[in-house]
Amino acid sequence: MSEKPVVAKTEAQDLQKQEHKEEQTFAGRFFIPQTDIVENKESLIVIMDLPGVKKEDLRIKLENNMLEVDGKICYSPYEKLNPVYTEYSIGNYVRRFTVSHAVDTRNIDAVLKDGVLSLTLLKAPEVKPREILVK
Amino acid sequence: MFGKSSNGLDIAIQRAVEQARDTNFFEAGTTGRGVYPFINLFEKDGDLVLATELPGVKKEELTLEVREDVLRLAGMRKIEYGEECSCHRLERKGLNFDRSLKLPFRIEGGKIQAEFKDGLLMVFLPRAESDKPKKIVIN
Repeated sequence: MSEKPVVAKTEAQDLQKQEHKEEQTFAGRFFIPQTDIVENKESLIVIMDLPGVKKEDLRIKLENNMLEVDGKICYSPYEKLNPVYTEYSIGNYVRRFTVSHAVDTRNIDAVLKDGVLSLTLLKAPEVKPREILVK
Repeated sequence: MFGKSSNGLDIAIQRAVEQARDTNFFEAGTTGRGVYPFINLFEKDGDLVLATELPGVKKEELTLEVREDVLRLAGMRKIEYGEECSCHRLERKGLNFDRSLKLPFRIEGGKIQAEFKDGLLMVFLPRAESDKPKKIVIN
Protein backbone atom coordinates (compact mmCIF):
# COMPACT_ATOMS: atom_id res chain seq x y z
CA MET A 1 0.00 0.00 0.00
CA SER A 2 2.71 2.40 0.98
CA GLU A 3 4.86 1.46 -2.02
CA LYS A 4 2.48 2.62 -4.71
CA PRO A 5 2.77 6.38 -4.21
CA VAL A 6 6.54 6.06 -4.00
CA VAL A 7 6.67 4.44 -7.44
CA ALA A 8 4.41 7.12 -8.84
CA LYS A 9 6.61 9.79 -7.40
CA THR A 10 9.79 8.46 -8.97
CA GLU A 11 8.01 8.17 -12.29
CA ALA A 12 6.93 11.74 -12.06
CA GLN A 13 10.44 12.74 -11.14
CA ASP A 14 11.84 10.87 -14.10
CA LEU A 15 9.41 12.60 -16.38
CA GLN A 16 10.32 15.93 -14.93
CA LYS A 17 14.00 15.20 -15.37
CA GLN A 18 13.42 14.21 -18.96
CA GLU A 19 11.45 17.35 -19.67
CA HIS A 20 14.13 19.40 -18.09
CA LYS A 21 16.73 17.74 -20.26
CA GLU A 22 14.90 18.41 -23.50
CA GLU A 23 13.76 21.91 -22.81
CA GLN A 24 15.91 24.85 -22.19
CA THR A 25 15.30 28.42 -21.31
CA PHE A 26 17.38 31.17 -22.72
CA ALA A 27 16.38 34.75 -23.29
CA GLY A 28 16.38 35.96 -26.86
CA ARG A 29 15.25 34.95 -30.29
CA PHE A 30 16.20 31.64 -31.84
CA PHE A 31 16.39 30.81 -35.52
CA ILE A 32 16.50 27.51 -37.33
CA PRO A 33 19.63 27.67 -39.48
CA GLN A 34 19.36 26.74 -43.15
CA THR A 35 20.91 23.35 -43.60
CA ASP A 36 22.04 21.10 -46.41
CA ILE A 37 22.50 17.40 -45.88
CA VAL A 38 24.43 15.43 -48.45
CA GLU A 39 25.75 11.92 -48.46
CA ASN A 40 28.72 10.30 -50.10
CA LYS A 41 30.19 6.85 -49.86
CA GLU A 42 31.93 7.31 -46.53
CA SER A 43 29.90 9.91 -44.72
CA LEU A 44 26.90 12.15 -44.21
CA ILE A 45 27.72 15.84 -44.36
CA VAL A 46 25.59 18.45 -42.64
CA ILE A 47 26.27 22.04 -43.74
CA MET A 48 24.67 24.84 -41.81
CA ASP A 49 24.64 28.64 -42.19
CA LEU A 50 25.47 30.27 -38.88
CA PRO A 51 26.42 33.86 -39.74
CA GLY A 52 27.81 35.83 -36.84
CA VAL A 53 28.54 32.83 -34.63
CA LYS A 54 32.07 32.58 -33.28
CA LYS A 55 33.81 29.27 -32.75
CA GLU A 56 33.77 29.62 -28.98
CA ASP A 57 30.02 30.32 -28.91
CA LEU A 58 29.08 27.18 -30.78
CA ARG A 59 28.02 24.05 -28.92
CA ILE A 60 27.52 20.75 -30.65
CA LYS A 61 26.13 18.03 -28.47
CA LEU A 62 25.30 14.41 -29.13
CA GLU A 63 23.06 12.70 -26.65
CA ASN A 64 20.91 9.59 -27.14
CA ASN A 65 21.32 9.84 -30.92
CA MET A 66 20.14 13.44 -30.85
CA LEU A 67 22.58 15.82 -32.42
CA GLU A 68 22.07 19.38 -31.31
CA VAL A 69 23.75 22.44 -32.74
CA ASP A 70 23.44 25.56 -30.63
CA GLY A 71 25.07 28.79 -31.78
CA LYS A 72 24.95 32.00 -29.82
CA ILE A 73 25.59 35.28 -31.54
CA CYS A 74 27.39 38.24 -30.13
CA TYR A 75 25.27 41.39 -29.86
CA SER A 76 28.20 43.71 -29.14
CA PRO A 77 28.67 44.97 -32.74
CA TYR A 78 25.09 46.26 -32.62
CA GLU A 79 25.51 48.28 -29.46
CA LYS A 80 24.85 52.00 -29.69
CA LEU A 81 23.37 51.61 -33.18
CA ASN A 82 19.99 53.00 -34.12
CA PRO A 83 18.19 51.03 -36.79
CA VAL A 84 17.12 53.19 -39.73
CA TYR A 85 16.25 50.56 -42.30
CA THR A 86 16.04 46.86 -41.49
CA GLU A 87 15.28 43.77 -43.51
CA TYR A 88 16.24 40.97 -41.15
CA SER A 89 16.48 40.37 -37.46
CA ILE A 90 19.23 38.64 -35.61
CA GLY A 91 19.23 35.93 -33.00
CA ASN A 92 20.77 32.71 -31.82
CA TYR A 93 20.57 29.48 -33.74
CA VAL A 94 19.46 26.05 -32.66
CA ARG A 95 18.67 22.90 -34.58
CA ARG A 96 18.37 19.25 -33.66
CA PHE A 97 18.71 16.13 -35.71
CA THR A 98 18.12 12.50 -34.91
CA VAL A 99 21.14 10.49 -35.90
CA SER A 100 20.53 6.93 -37.01
CA HIS A 101 22.57 3.93 -36.01
CA ALA A 102 24.15 4.01 -39.43
CA VAL A 103 26.44 6.77 -38.17
CA ASP A 104 29.61 6.16 -36.24
CA THR A 105 28.87 8.61 -33.44
CA ARG A 106 32.41 8.53 -32.08
CA ASN A 107 33.78 10.09 -35.24
CA ILE A 108 32.07 13.38 -35.90
CA ASP A 109 34.13 16.18 -37.34
CA ALA A 110 33.03 19.82 -37.14
CA VAL A 111 34.54 22.78 -38.97
CA LEU A 112 33.29 26.38 -38.74
CA LYS A 113 34.48 28.69 -41.47
CA ASP A 114 33.10 32.01 -42.74
CA GLY A 115 29.87 31.47 -40.83
CA VAL A 116 29.29 28.00 -42.26
CA LEU A 117 29.43 24.89 -40.12
CA SER A 118 30.32 21.58 -41.75
CA LEU A 119 29.66 18.45 -39.78
CA THR A 120 31.04 15.23 -41.17
CA LEU A 121 29.39 12.13 -39.79
CA LEU A 122 31.21 8.99 -40.81
CA LYS A 123 29.10 5.98 -41.62
CA ALA A 124 29.40 2.99 -39.33
CA PRO A 125 31.55 0.25 -40.89
CA GLU A 126 28.66 -2.24 -40.88
CA VAL A 127 26.47 -0.10 -43.14
CA LYS A 128 29.14 0.75 -45.70
CA PRO A 129 28.50 -0.91 -49.02
CA ARG A 130 30.75 -3.84 -49.65
CA GLU A 131 31.04 -6.28 -52.44
CA ILE A 132 30.65 -9.97 -51.87
CA LEU A 133 32.96 -12.15 -53.83
CA VAL A 134 31.44 -15.05 -55.66
CA LYS A 135 33.49 -18.17 -55.29
CA MET B 1 14.37 6.96 -50.15
CA PHE B 2 16.19 9.83 -51.83
CA GLY B 3 17.73 8.31 -54.88
CA LYS B 4 20.59 9.81 -56.77
CA SER B 5 18.24 12.26 -58.45
CA SER B 6 20.32 15.31 -57.70
CA ASN B 7 20.78 16.35 -61.29
CA GLY B 8 21.42 19.98 -62.01
CA LEU B 9 18.19 20.58 -63.94
CA ASP B 10 15.97 19.40 -61.06
CA ILE B 11 17.67 21.80 -58.72
CA ALA B 12 17.57 24.65 -61.25
CA ILE B 13 13.79 24.20 -61.68
CA GLN B 14 13.26 24.05 -57.93
CA ARG B 15 15.28 27.23 -57.47
CA ALA B 16 13.42 29.07 -60.23
CA VAL B 17 10.06 28.17 -58.69
CA GLU B 18 11.23 29.21 -55.25
CA GLN B 19 12.60 32.47 -56.55
CA ALA B 20 9.37 33.28 -58.39
CA ARG B 21 7.41 32.61 -55.21
CA ASP B 22 9.81 34.61 -53.08
CA THR B 23 9.26 37.71 -55.15
CA ASN B 24 5.52 37.54 -54.49
CA PHE B 25 4.95 38.42 -58.15
CA PHE B 26 1.98 36.07 -58.49
CA GLU B 27 0.28 37.06 -55.30
CA ALA B 28 -1.35 40.12 -53.81
CA GLY B 29 0.96 42.56 -52.13
CA THR B 30 4.24 44.09 -53.05
CA THR B 31 7.00 42.36 -54.93
CA GLY B 32 10.64 42.47 -54.02
CA ARG B 33 10.57 40.08 -51.12
CA GLY B 34 13.19 37.88 -52.71
CA VAL B 35 16.11 40.28 -52.63
CA TYR B 36 19.47 38.92 -51.57
CA PRO B 37 21.27 39.63 -49.37
CA PHE B 38 19.10 41.16 -46.70
CA ILE B 39 20.56 44.41 -45.44
CA ASN B 40 20.23 46.24 -42.16
CA LEU B 41 21.19 49.88 -41.94
CA PHE B 42 21.96 51.57 -38.67
CA GLU B 43 22.77 55.11 -37.72
CA LYS B 44 25.60 55.99 -35.36
CA ASP B 45 26.59 59.57 -34.57
CA GLY B 46 25.25 60.82 -37.89
CA ASP B 47 27.04 58.15 -39.94
CA LEU B 48 25.70 54.87 -41.28
CA VAL B 49 26.57 51.29 -40.45
CA LEU B 50 25.51 48.54 -42.82
CA ALA B 51 25.17 44.93 -41.69
CA THR B 52 24.51 41.93 -43.87
CA GLU B 53 24.87 38.19 -43.45
CA LEU B 54 26.80 36.41 -46.17
CA PRO B 55 27.74 32.99 -44.81
CA GLY B 56 30.04 31.00 -47.06
CA VAL B 57 30.92 33.94 -49.30
CA LYS B 58 34.61 34.53 -49.74
CA LYS B 59 36.09 37.97 -49.31
CA GLU B 60 37.61 37.81 -52.80
CA GLU B 61 34.21 37.10 -54.35
CA LEU B 62 32.59 40.16 -52.87
CA THR B 63 32.43 43.61 -54.46
CA LEU B 64 31.52 46.62 -52.43
CA GLU B 65 31.27 49.98 -54.14
CA VAL B 66 30.05 53.40 -53.15
CA ARG B 67 29.40 56.20 -55.60
CA GLU B 68 28.11 59.35 -53.97
CA ASP B 69 25.00 58.10 -52.20
CA VAL B 70 24.57 54.73 -53.92
CA LEU B 71 26.04 51.60 -52.44
CA ARG B 72 26.50 48.47 -54.49
CA LEU B 73 27.03 45.02 -53.06
CA ALA B 74 27.72 42.26 -55.54
CA GLY B 75 29.20 38.82 -55.45
CA MET B 76 28.49 35.18 -55.64
CA ARG B 77 27.76 32.43 -53.24
CA LYS B 78 28.88 29.09 -54.52
CA ILE B 79 27.44 25.91 -53.15
CA GLU B 80 28.84 22.82 -54.75
CA TYR B 81 28.83 19.21 -53.81
CA GLY B 82 30.77 16.61 -55.69
CA GLU B 83 29.28 14.34 -58.30
CA GLU B 84 29.38 11.37 -55.93
CA CYS B 85 27.21 13.15 -53.36
CA SER B 86 23.49 12.50 -53.15
CA CYS B 87 21.43 15.24 -51.58
CA HIS B 88 18.97 14.72 -48.74
CA ARG B 89 18.17 18.31 -48.01
CA LEU B 90 19.10 21.51 -49.82
CA GLU B 91 17.98 24.63 -48.00
CA ARG B 92 20.96 26.86 -48.62
CA LYS B 93 21.04 28.73 -51.90
CA GLY B 94 23.99 29.35 -54.11
CA LEU B 95 23.47 32.43 -56.26
CA ASN B 96 24.93 35.50 -57.86
CA PHE B 97 23.78 38.71 -56.32
CA ASP B 98 24.06 42.35 -57.20
CA ARG B 99 22.23 44.86 -55.10
CA SER B 100 22.29 48.62 -55.04
CA LEU B 101 20.96 50.73 -52.27
CA LYS B 102 20.34 54.46 -52.25
CA LEU B 103 21.52 55.97 -49.02
CA PRO B 104 20.04 59.09 -47.43
CA PHE B 105 23.27 61.10 -47.96
CA ARG B 106 26.61 61.06 -49.75
CA ILE B 107 29.42 58.97 -48.32
CA GLU B 108 33.05 59.94 -47.77
CA GLY B 109 34.56 57.29 -50.00
CA GLY B 110 38.03 57.34 -48.53
CA LYS B 111 36.91 56.71 -44.98
CA ILE B 112 34.78 53.62 -45.46
CA GLN B 113 35.71 50.70 -43.26
CA ALA B 114 34.49 47.18 -43.92
CA GLU B 115 34.88 44.12 -41.78
CA PHE B 116 33.87 40.64 -42.90
CA LYS B 117 34.04 38.04 -40.18
CA ASP B 118 32.17 34.80 -39.49
CA GLY B 119 29.94 35.45 -42.48
CA LEU B 120 28.85 38.82 -41.18
CA LEU B 121 29.70 41.94 -43.15
CA MET B 122 29.74 45.24 -41.29
CA VAL B 123 30.46 48.42 -43.25
CA PHE B 124 31.01 51.78 -41.65
CA LEU B 125 29.81 54.53 -43.99
CA PRO B 126 30.74 58.04 -42.85
CA ARG B 127 28.72 60.97 -44.13
CA ALA B 128 30.61 63.13 -46.61
CA GLU B 129 31.81 66.42 -45.16
CA SER B 130 30.36 68.26 -48.17
CA ASP B 131 26.95 66.75 -47.44
CA LYS B 132 26.82 67.71 -43.80
CA PRO B 133 24.41 70.46 -42.91
CA LYS B 134 26.02 73.90 -42.60
CA LYS B 135 25.17 75.97 -39.62
CA ILE B 136 24.28 79.50 -40.51
CA VAL B 137 25.03 82.25 -38.09
CA ILE B 138 22.22 84.75 -37.87
CA ASN B 139 23.41 88.29 -37.55
